[in-house]
Amino acid sequence: MAFLEINNVSKKFGATEAVSDFNLQIEKGELVSFLGPSGCGKTTTLRMVAGFEMPTDGRIVMDGKDITDMPANQRDVGMVFQSYALFPNMTVAGNIGFGLKIMKKSAEETNQRTKEMLDLINMPEYAHRYPYQLSGGQQQRVALARALALRPDVLLLDEPLSALDAKIRVSLRAEIRDIQRKLGITAIYVTHDQEEALSLSDRVVVMNAGKMEQVGTPFQIYNFPETNFVASFVGTLNTAEAEVVDPARGLISMDGVQFVSADDLNGRKKGDKVRMSVRPERFNFADDQKKDNLLDCTIENITFLGSVVRIQVKIGKTVFNMDTFNNPFLELPKIGDNGQVTCSKEAVLVISH
Amino acid sequence: MKKINIWAWIILFIGMIYFFLPLISTLEFSMKMIKDRYTFEAFRVAFTDRVFFERFGYSVLWALLTITLSTLLVVPTAYWVHWKLPKARPFVEFVTLMPFVVPAVVLTFGFIRLYARPPFFLNDRPILLIAGYIILSLPYMFRAVDTGLRAIDVRTLTEAALSLGAGWGTILTQVIFPNLRVAILSGVFLTFAIVMGEFTFASLLAKPAFGPYMEEIGSMRAYTPQALSLVSFLLTWASIGLLQWIGRGRVQEQVAGAH
Amino acid sequence: MNVADNLSKPPVKKMNWDWVGVAPFFIFAIVFLFLPSLSIFYRSFQANDGGFTFDNIIALFTVRDIINAYKTSLQISLITAVGGAVFGFLLAYAVVLGGLPRGIRTFMSTFSGVASNFAGVPLAFAFIATMGNAGLVTRWIEGIFNISTRELGFSIYNMWGLSIVYMYFQFPLMVLIMAPALDGLRREWREAAENLGGNTYHYWRYVAFPILMPSLLGTMILLFGNAFGAYATAYAFSGSFINLVTILIGAQIQGDVLYNPGLGNALALGMIFIMGLSMAGYVWMQRRAARWMR
Repeated sequence: MAFLEINNVSKKFGATEAVSDFNLQIEKGELVSFLGPSGCGKTTTLRMVAGFEMPTDGRIVMDGKDITDMPANQRDVGMVFQSYALFPNMTVAGNIGFGLKIMKKSAEETNQRTKEMLDLINMPEYAHRYPYQLSGGQQQRVALARALALRPDVLLLDEPLSALDAKIRVSLRAEIRDIQRKLGITAIYVTHDQEEALSLSDRVVVMNAGKMEQVGTPFQIYNFPETNFVASFVGTLNTAEAEVVDPARGLISMDGVQFVSADDLNGRKKGDKVRMSVRPERFNFADDQKKDNLLDCTIENITFLGSVVRIQVKIGKTVFNMDTFNNPFLELPKIGDNGQVTCSKEAVLVISH
Repeated sequence: MKKINIWAWIILFIGMIYFFLPLISTLEFSMKMIKDRYTFEAFRVAFTDRVFFERFGYSVLWALLTITLSTLLVVPTAYWVHWKLPKARPFVEFVTLMPFVVPAVVLTFGFIRLYARPPFFLNDRPILLIAGYIILSLPYMFRAVDTGLRAIDVRTLTEAALSLGAGWGTILTQVIFPNLRVAILSGVFLTFAIVMGEFTFASLLAKPAFGPYMEEIGSMRAYTPQALSLVSFLLTWASIGLLQWIGRGRVQEQVAGAH
Repeated sequence: MNVADNLSKPPVKKMNWDWVGVAPFFIFAIVFLFLPSLSIFYRSFQANDGGFTFDNIIALFTVRDIINAYKTSLQISLITAVGGAVFGFLLAYAVVLGGLPRGIRTFMSTFSGVASNFAGVPLAFAFIATMGNAGLVTRWIEGIFNISTRELGFSIYNMWGLSIVYMYFQFPLMVLIMAPALDGLRREWREAAENLGGNTYHYWRYVAFPILMPSLLGTMILLFGNAFGAYATAYAFSGSFINLVTILIGAQIQGDVLYNPGLGNALALGMIFIMGLSMAGYVWMQRRAARWMR
């Protein structure tokens, strides 16, 4: 039995169903992300685990105990809010020690634990500052320490980094992951940022319109999207309409340009409309080696993105994005040049239509 | 949540009784002008008094003068504080809070001792009255305008206008005032409500106004003053309701315009 | 050369022309606010013949009527400030956080706007019609319990009666100011407190009240000053036996009883002093309460 079970949970606000039939088993020590656009029900699900919302249907079981109807203040979960939600009238130490004070722990124990937590987030010298004296990133670290001070069984993070700027987001993300691993704490991480979800989770739940679209490791989610939504929401994707030419050999045609795909096309007939997609980094400029797909193209645009150069190539009548790693010796084509690009047949995904 | 809800209703109920009993009682009393019958005779009599209209008109005049001058004084000052002189903010705020420290009756006393005698004789004209009303309006006007200025980006707007070649007059009249209309309006309505019912300044400076008029007829007659009290309450309420309505309309308009 | 250089660049501090922009405002404030206040201060120490004297100030502390007037004024101000703050806070809480329909909030805020300015003669009439000798409520009570309210020791014309009347504008003022402050309490604070094991009591004791304290204190001082300086309402109850400081000053202006301009100035100075003191107290308390604020 999994440590945290969310069984057939749904939540209605009036007539609208914010979450429908959500099912997930989370193992102890696992970090699971809920990924999706705003309004997809990820935060509502998290808030049901925290006890701030009551499910309309379904049960939530933690460590073998049904906590569905348990008040929020009796659950053994710690929560980190998007807006930090630090108490502005208390110092950093006051915030971290708040839960311990309520539990009526001795002053000694409270101080000891607070110090421990400050060390954990690398802010031992900030104990007596007030929240307004801290940067956003520091505030969120304090919020994390506050949530962890009571040693909860589950840590919930509700878009904890979305109010911070890009650089801090990346470093704090790594820090959160480190701390979570070090403590071996079970965690749910809500985010709308796919890079965040992919980089720090053991598993990712992609959600859309209150429903789970796909559950899997970041690797599975990125490389083998099961639905059109997952394919388009996670990563940059080129998609185009195509037509099945030969199901047995994996041949499809897009505006007369033939692609070969490794995907299983059994069960489809010649002439079926499908949607095909290729990740930008799966295209390469043609070299001498033989490739599954060798395609004539025209260079439409070149955008320099730093470590990556994004080149827009027109294949047939459709423009595809192609990413290639930057290096100082790279010989870039010119806009308007004609050339050839290749991709393997595994790179050509055929998604249900 | 449910428990809080019940308490909220109970508190609201008690509050409503306290608020409305005096109004209902006043209405009841004013309707007893003719013996053994409830009529609106008192209201009819009140509104046929020529002096009522005259004094009411004076109060409206004072209110309009106060509003105009107070706006002209407060808006450029608040704007300037936002744009050039944030240093001056504490001093300006201090001044606008002074009406709470120096009560109207004290200020009037100071006015009379200082300006209503040689060599000034300022009280021969309504200068002192209006000055007093402007002082009374300062906290409300300044706060309203200040909030309004916070909501718009004064610096960017001004710099944009300056870079387009606008002069200070143009900036104030074409850029700042229009953007502050709602904020100014909320200060204006409060000022209007205050001046219309004001008694202390008008009475002690011996100027004709609605407040002292009510007091005069109150000591001479029964029933009609009660009717007028009620009318003045409802009029003020209506004007503040109007303010909210206009304010809301504008906000929606702006939101709609942004899309 | 050096000397010449120094001479050609005299160390004149550059005049800051930015202050010119706020000059009209400050000139107005000086002429109509500070000079009159200053004259009150100055003339408080002036005898009728123009000479310097402490008599007026001494009178503040020795003349029985004056001491009583200050006492009554202070009592009423304190009672209505605390009472208005408590009930106004409860009402604001009910309206903002009590889960009442949205319309009630709008209704309450416009109503409070009116009621907080409802003072003077109309207010006096309203309460005389309610709780005066022939008031509606008085008649009800007499009809139901068959006793006269006067026998119960209640009268609208004494200090407690006047306090109830003053409450009519104190209470809505508190609602007006507290409502936005209560709006400022963020939902996440409550949730964070709950998440950390706190209940409603913990939340209010450690989070909400400390956060609201500066506005609560500030509004109470405001209510205090509002009652302390009120003149019109008290004046409208003329013929009553309540002597307030504002009434005494008004009488001095109108030149009725005990006409003595120096004494009037001293009375006014006393008011400014008490108000200034409470304002200073407010600033001090707010600094202390708000060391966690930007």
